[in-house]
Amino acid sequence: MTKLKVNNLSSKYSFIIFITITIGILGFYFNLQYFWSMDKHPVTIAVSKTPLSTPFYVAKSINSFDETCVEVEYTEVKGGQIAFEKVMNGDVDFGTSSDSVIAFKSLTKQKFVTHAMFVQSDNDVKLITRSSDRVTSVTELKGKRVGVTKGTASEYLLSTLLAIEGLTMEHVKLSHYMPDKLIHGFSNNEVDAIVAWEPFVFESLQLLGDQIKIHNTKSLSTLSFNLISPTADNQLVEKAKCVIQGLQTAINYIVSHPKESKKIVIDALKLDPAFIDWVWPDYIFKLGLNQSLILNINSQAIWIMETQMSEFNEIPNSERFIDSRALLQVEPGSVNIPL
Amino acid sequence: MKLSLHHQIYFFTISSCLLFVVLVISILWSTQVIDVASKREQYANMIEGHTNTLKQFITRENIYANNYNAKKWLALEKKFEELLQRVPHLTPQQHTIQNSIESQNRNVIRLFNAINESKLKNANEIIKKHLKIRLLTQLEAIRSDSMQLSTIAQKDIKDIIRNQIIFVLSILALVIFTLVYGAFNVVRIIKTSLKEVKSAFEKNHSGNFQKIQLSNQSEEFNSIAQAFNAMNKKLSSTTVSLASMKKIVEERTHELEQLSNTDPLTKIANRRALFERGHYEFSRARRTKSPLALIMVDCDLFKNINDEFGHLFGDEALKNLCNVCSKEIRNIDFFARYGGEEFIIILPDSELSGAIQTASRIQRSLARNSTKFEGNEVCVTVSIGICAFSDKHNTFEQLINDADKAMYQAKNNGRDRIEIIENDL
Repeated sequence: MTKLKVNNLSSKYSFIIFITITIGILGFYFNLQYFWSMDKHPVTIAVSKTPLSTPFYVAKSINSFDETCVEVEYTEVKGGQIAFEKVMNGDVDFGTSSDSVIAFKSLTKQKFVTHAMFVQSDNDVKLITRSSDRVTSVTELKGKRVGVTKGTASEYLLSTLLAIEGLTMEHVKLSHYMPDKLIHGFSNNEVDAIVAWEPFVFESLQLLGDQIKIHNTKSLSTLSFNLISPTADNQLVEKAKCVIQGLQTAINYIVSHPKESKKIVIDALKLDPAFIDWVWPDYIFKLGLNQSLILNINSQAIWIMETQMSEFNEIPNSERFIDSRALLQVEPGSVNIPL
Repeated sequence: MKLSLHHQIYFFTISSCLLFVVLVISILWSTQVIDVASKREQYANMIEGHTNTLKQFITRENIYANNYNAKKWLALEKKFEELLQRVPHLTPQQHTIQNSIESQNRNVIRLFNAINESKLKNANEIIKKHLKIRLLTQLEAIRSDSMQLSTIAQKDIKDIIRNQIIFVLSILALVIFTLVYGAFNVVRIIKTSLKEVKSAFEKNHSGNFQKIQLSNQSEEFNSIAQAFNAMNKKLSSTTVSLASMKKIVEERTHELEQLSNTDPLTKIANRRALFERGHYEFSRARRTKSPLALIMVDCDLFKNINDEFGHLFGDEALKNLCNVCSKEIRNIDFFARYGGEEFIIILPDSELSGAIQTASRIQRSLARNSTKFEGNEVCVTVSIGICAFSDKHNTFEQLINDADKAMYQAKNNGRDRIEIIENDL
C-alpha cells in the first residue's frame, strides 16, 4: 500500500517537475535578454520640434523605452541644426538631424556619426511665394530675394530647384533666417520667397491664407531624419542600440496605429489636427541605414561645396559618418551598406 | 470525477489525435505563410533587379544629350510601376517599405521628367552631374528598400521554420509525455488492482473471506471488487471452513461421548464409562504391576428413603452422595454409578490402605453433609466394600465382584461400615 502511495507521489512529483522545467526553460528563453538589459543608462536626446520626430513622441507616450537599457530624457529644440549643435557641445547624448544638416556638417570635420534614419519625407520642405507675384516657375525667382535657413534642407532644396532650371544661388538674393523667423521675414516683406519646412509652411498658410502660393515641390527633395551622436565608443553604441530598440517599437506602433500616433503628436507638439492630416501622407516612418543615405549625404556635400554654400572645400568620406553597429543589433535587415 | 480505465485510454487516444491534428494544421498553416513570404521575397528580388536595370540605363547613357531617347527608359519605368502595382499581401512593416519604394519611384520620375523637359540647357556640368547622381541615389534608395523587403521576407521564412520546429518538437514532446504518462498510469492501475484481486482470491481459498480494498480506484476494477465483495458476503454467511467444521464435529463428538458416558441424574460417569475405564486401569495395573483398588459404595436403606420421602428426595440424596464422593477422591481416581444406588470408585496406583482412607473420608463427610429437601434434612449412610487388585483377578469384573462381596458383607454386618476383601484370605 505504502509502495503504491510512493509510486503515486513520485509520478505526481515527476509531472510537477516536468511542468516546472518546461516553464523555466520558456521563461529563461524569452526573458534572458530582458533581464540582462535591466541596467538602465540615463540618456538625453535633443529632439527637433517637428512631426518628423513622431517616433520619439510616440516612444515616450507608449513607454517603449521601458523595456530597453536606457532611461530617456528629451530636450526639445527648433530644428535639426540646433539639435546637432547640442550634440557636438556635449549638452545631450543624441540628437535628431536631417540628412542636409549632416551633409553640411560633414564638411566641418566635426566628429559625429549617424546611427539610424527613422523617417523620410519627399515633401517636407516647400517653396512659398507671394500670390500677387504670380510666380509659376522657379526661373521667375531670378533676381528675387529668397529667405532660407543656412546649412539646412531649406538651402539645399532652393539650390536644387534652381539647378533644375539651370540657375545657381548667385541668381537670387539670399537672406538667412532661423526656421521660425522665416514667416516673419516673409510677412514683413523682407523677402519675396521663402523655403521653409513644416510646420512653418502650414503656419504660413494659416496666417496668410490666399496671400501665399505653395509650390509643388513634392518628390524633388527627399528629407530624412536621423539619430546622431558624437563619434561613438562601445558604451555609446550600446545606448544607441537601446534608443533604436525603443524607436523600433514606436515605429511598429505608428505603422499599426496611425490614428493614435497622430493624436500623440498633436498633443505633444500642440498642433492643429488639420496640420497633421496635411503632412502625414508625405511621411514614411522606418528604420534604415543604407547606401542611398551615404550617396545622398555625399552628393549633397559635394553640391554644397561646389556651389560655395559652405566655406569648406575638402570632399568628406561620408562613410565615416555612418555607424551601423547599433542598428545591426536591432534590425539587421534595415542595414544595407557595403562593409 | 474519476475516469474509468477505458475512458482514460479513449481520452489519451483522442488527445493524441487532436494534438496530431493541431500539428498537421500548423504545418499546413506554416506552408501557407512560407509561400506568402516567398512571394514577397520574389517580389522584392524583382524590384531589385528592375531597379538595377533602370540604374544601368542612367549610368550608361548621357541623359542630357539632345538625341537621348527617354522613351525607352520611361517604358522601362512604366513596367516598373506596373510591377509595383502587383504587390503581394504585405505586413504593416513591409507595407511601409512598399510605400517608401513607391514614394522614391515618384521622386525618380519627377526628377527624370524635370531633367528631360529642360535638358538642363542652361546648367553647367556640376549641376548635371549632381542631378544625375541624385537620380542614381533615388534608385539606390529603391534598391536598398527592396533588399530590406527581401531580408524581412527571408527572416520571416527562417522565423516561421524555427518556430515551426520548436512548435512541432514541443507538441511531440507533449504527445510522448502524455502517452507515456497515460500508459504508465493505466498499467500501474491494472497491475496493482489485479494483484489486489488475486490476493483476495487467494485469501478466499484459505477460507479468509475479506473484502477487496482497491488502492487505485477505477470503474472496471471497482465493479469487479463490488461483485466479489457481494459474493464473499454471501459465501461467508453460508460457508463453514473445514477447520471450523472439524472443530464443531470434535466438540459435538466430545459432547456426545460425554453424554454417552455420563449418568443423566448424577452427572457422573455411568456404567458404560465405568467398565471402559475399569478395563483400561485393570490392564495397566496388570501390565505395570502397579497397585489398583476398587471401592463399592451402596446407599443404605434407599428403598425406605424413596418410600418415605418420595423419589425426588431419593434422587437428591443420590446427588448429594455423588457430590461428597467427588470431593473426597483424588484427581486420578474414577467415580461412576454402577446401578441404582450403587457406585464404584476406581483408585489407580492405590494400595488397600489408601482406599480405606478414602472410604473413611467419604463416610465422615457424608455424616457432616445431610441431604436437605423441602424442609427435610435426612442423614444418609453408605455401606462400603473395598478390594485391591491381585494375581487372582483375571478380569475387571472379578475385581468388581470382590468389591461387591465386601459391600454385602458390610450390609450384613450392620450397614454404614467398611468391609474389605483381603486377597490372601
